[in-house]
Amino acid sequence: MFLKLLVVFGLILASCRVEADNTSVLPEGFVDAAQRSTHTNNWAVLVDASRFWFNYRHVANVLSIYRSVKRLGIPDSQIILMIADDMACNARNPRPGQVYNNANQHINVYGDDVEVDYRGYEVTVENFVRLLTGRTQNGTARSKKLLSDAGSNVLIYLTGHGGDGFLKFQDSEEITSQELADGIQQMWEKKRYNELFFMVDTCQAASLYEKFTSPNVLAVASSLVGEDSLSHHVDPSIGVYMIDRYTYYALEFLEKVQPFSKRTIGEFLQVCPKRVCISTVGVRKDLYRRDPHKVPITDFFGAIRPTRVSTDRINVTLANEDDFIFDKDKMVTKKPFKIVMESQFPSELFK
Amino acid sequence: MGLLSDPSISTQSKLVDGLARHVRKVCYALYVAGVAWFFCLALPEFNHGTYLSENALSPGLVYPEIRIDANRLAIQLLEELQRERKDHLSTTPHAWIAAKMNEFGLETHTHNYTLRYPFGGGKEYHGKNIYGILRAPRIASTEGIVFAAPYRAASSVHADISASVPLLLAFADFARRKNYWAKDLIFLVTEQEQLGMQAWLEAYHDGDRDLDVSKAYLRPGNLPARAGSLQAALNIEVQDLEIDHVDVRIEGLNGKLPNLDMFNLVQRIMAREGIASGYKQAPRKKRRHSQSHFEQNLRQMLTMLASQSSGVPTGNHGLFHRYRIDALTIAANRRATHATLKGSPGSAAVPLLKAIEGIARSLNNLLERFHQSFFFYVIVNNDRYISIGDYMPALVALVACAFLKAYLTWSTLPATNAELDKAAGWLKEHEQEVELEENLDPDKFELPYGSVLIYLTATLLIGFLCNVLPLQQYFLEIPMGAAPLTTSVLSFLSLIGFVLPFVVVLPPGGLELLHVAFLLIYGCALIVIGLLNFALGFFAAVLTVPLVIALETKEENSRSTLRNTIRLATLAMNPMMVVYVIVLAMTFYQFPELPLQKIMLRAATAAMDASAYGLIDSVIYGNWLYFVICTIFLPLWIICWTLSLSKRRDYADYLDFDESPSTPSQLQSQVQPQSKVKTN
Repeated sequence: MFLKLLVVFGLILASCRVEADNTSVLPEGFVDAAQRSTHTNNWAVLVDASRFWFNYRHVANVLSIYRSVKRLGIPDSQIILMIADDMACNARNPRPGQVYNNANQHINVYGDDVEVDYRGYEVTVENFVRLLTGRTQNGTARSKKLLSDAGSNVLIYLTGHGGDGFLKFQDSEEITSQELADGIQQMWEKKRYNELFFMVDTCQAASLYEKFTSPNVLAVASSLVGEDSLSHHVDPSIGVYMIDRYTYYALEFLEKVQPFSKRTIGEFLQVCPKRVCISTVGVRKDLYRRDPHKVPITDFFGAIRPTRVSTDRINVTLANEDDFIFDKDKMVTKKPFKIVMESQFPSELFK
Repeated sequence: MGLLSDPSISTQSKLVDGLARHVRKVCYALYVAGVAWFFCLALPEFNHGTYLSENALSPGLVYPEIRIDANRLAIQLLEELQRERKDHLSTTPHAWIAAKMNEFGLETHTHNYTLRYPFGGGKEYHGKNIYGILRAPRIASTEGIVFAAPYRAASSVHADISASVPLLLAFADFARRKNYWAKDLIFLVTEQEQLGMQAWLEAYHDGDRDLDVSKAYLRPGNLPARAGSLQAALNIEVQDLEIDHVDVRIEGLNGKLPNLDMFNLVQRIMAREGIASGYKQAPRKKRRHSQSHFEQNLRQMLTMLASQSSGVPTGNHGLFHRYRIDALTIAANRRATHATLKGSPGSAAVPLLKAIEGIARSLNNLLERFHQSFFFYVIVNNDRYISIGDYMPALVALVACAFLKAYLTWSTLPATNAELDKAAGWLKEHEQEVELEENLDPDKFELPYGSVLIYLTATLLIGFLCNVLPLQQYFLEIPMGAAPLTTSVLSFLSLIGFVLPFVVVLPPGGLELLHVAFLLIYGCALIVIGLLNFALGFFAAVLTVPLVIALETKEENSRSTLRNTIRLATLAMNPMMVVYVIVLAMTFYQFPELPLQKIMLRAATAAMDASAYGLIDSVIYGNWLYFVICTIFLPLWIICWTLSLSKRRDYADYLDFDESPSTPSQLQSQVQPQSKVKTN
């Protein structure tokens, strides 16, 4: 039975290839992109590493990105949201239970269905590194694990207070760029991502991706080493800075993106020119093999996988083979089909 | 420099001896450098612009929400209070204040305290404070901020500040409607100036502890409700709802200051509301523009140090500092004329209310106590300051004179000189034995450590008695005012100090050793006082260091005119004399029209009062000034007086001893009888 199933699959695949070769109705660019894009699922790790009321904007940053990726299709089960402080319920918040990312206050980014996976003092460097590398402690809830695989495109967004080569977590510890690079290298070795988009909005953010060596990583940072990232504006009714500049302009872009949009990552990398950001946005592309201008933004910010639309009939029913064979002579005789399984363990070495 | 080429002296001693010859010049150079450094601090190159270093404060990020209705409420409350004041000429209208607080929904309590005035047979005074707590709506009551307004009865001699209470209540009414308070707000109305505040603070922090009631002069009682640990306090003294300018007062008890961030916060918010505000802000008319920046800065620095040096708080805020609560007073002064009035009188207090709201919201944002910015600073201008790292060198340079002189005096003590002479003599005779002999010499010759120690202890005892005697039950029962009692005790003890060097004379070498000990104690005392209260330490140093440098015990080196000048200067530096001179100067400044004789008489009574107030301040509020003067400056003066007199018991013996190094047995015999004489 198992063998039979495989044969049918093989047939379908073969016929598909024949069709594609013959018709080529789909635009070449799309086919190209679809063939290169090898990811099958999307994950997002969104981290606000700083606490205290006056860092309201960092929580607003991360919740805004959360809102965008969720809107574009990544389910809550595949978003790991880490928020170091509870702004919505802070006693100083004149609007209890709400967090806004704009002084106009038209979007409450702390809506009804925010699932915070790591909160308050759970947001530590240790937990973050464990999360990335998959070395979570026994008994960690499924919602607190990054269960990505070799087909996952992972978005990592960090915000907080950074310096040259580190990002401060809470008020007590910091993750260095080396630790971050090691964690990502380990992810690659453990086949925990297909492609990784690393986005960071802190002061001297570019220092955080300097040490990366792992392939398929595209990184963008709100400011270069030696530069401060600045906040965008104040809400005088709440009395805090609402959002950081880079994230503000990134969101302005993302808000216009729909799940089937043709916007590319290349465009996204240019959302915040220096004249509006004040800081210089840093981009690191050397580890990334594809041209960002040909990569749809939904590869990272949504859950859109490569699909092909076929108007032709394809028989996928798994009925008895004999039922379909009317004329045995007309059938193309196929060669014997054999599948060789790669051995899981190099047992020959021990023979 | 024949000294340096003398082969008989080792290189180290050469340097020391060279310095020792010029010790006065070196010390005076240091003194001038220290004073010059202080003057330089007034130059903009030497001080820094203020900035806010506590992020949490985020001043001015919120739009003020307080509106004109709060001002209307304040006006209405002021009118009501004025009517109440007619019925309560010398008391506080407690019932009215409590009723208003209750009406605004505050958790209102009263606090009773008792002062047992110790002098003149003892009297008891009773006082009553009223406070209302606004609990933080969404957080536990673990932290609080105090908004205080002193109430002055209509019969008070001080300026009328009855508008503070209506303003406080109007703000309380506004604050109660808001949901964003993360700390409890305490609205406190105190009476009897600083006494009420002191009692309230003591009751807040120690009220539930069992204190020895019989010993305490101020019995604070206990509070029925508290609001967690107090983070900051704002004291409001408003003369009228129509204000001209705001004077920000910061000097607290013993010269302590609130964190510089707090001052900057107030300045920033006042500027936003367009209120002329500043440290020692002068009224609009009196602001001088003719002075140069340097002159203005220097004047500001000196006035700040002058008000800090007495250690008396300039407002009720100063008492908070003792409990590590940053606090300051905003004293709003009445507008003199109505000619410049821009807005309608119905909205006059709106800017001030907005400022109070802004300060309150910034303080509300605090995550922990003020800790980021400076606690030790001198304000040069409203937006410029000098940090402790910049002003301390001035004091260190002054005090360094004492230590330098102490070292050089020590290394050239007669004993050491004798050793050196001896060593030099021996060096020529048998060079190889020098090392051995030098090791032995210090054991052979002994300085009169014991008698000097006893002398020091005796002087310190006099200082200690100054603190203790006036408060003894025996003296307190004498039906005598505090001022004459304290003054007579102090004068008596000073007289003992004055006579002491005539009666007790130290053995040979004793004066020199005493000189070294004096310099060390003096240096340590000044640096410690300077750390705790820079102003007091610095002024004391500027005043006394020249005398200390000039002081010399070796009679043969100095002319008699110089010696007499030093003696005269020492007499003038008597702490009681200095206090009198300061009071005299202040009286002269205040009443320039009076004839000199009257001024001097008035100053004498004022100085007597000052010493009594100093004592009372020290027992009730914990002011150190009286303690410092009695326990440190008076003993130091007695020693200084001893040194300037340079009475030697056995001058002939001493000369003898100086010329030829005596054997240990001879020395023993010299030392022994003299110490006996002293004990007799």
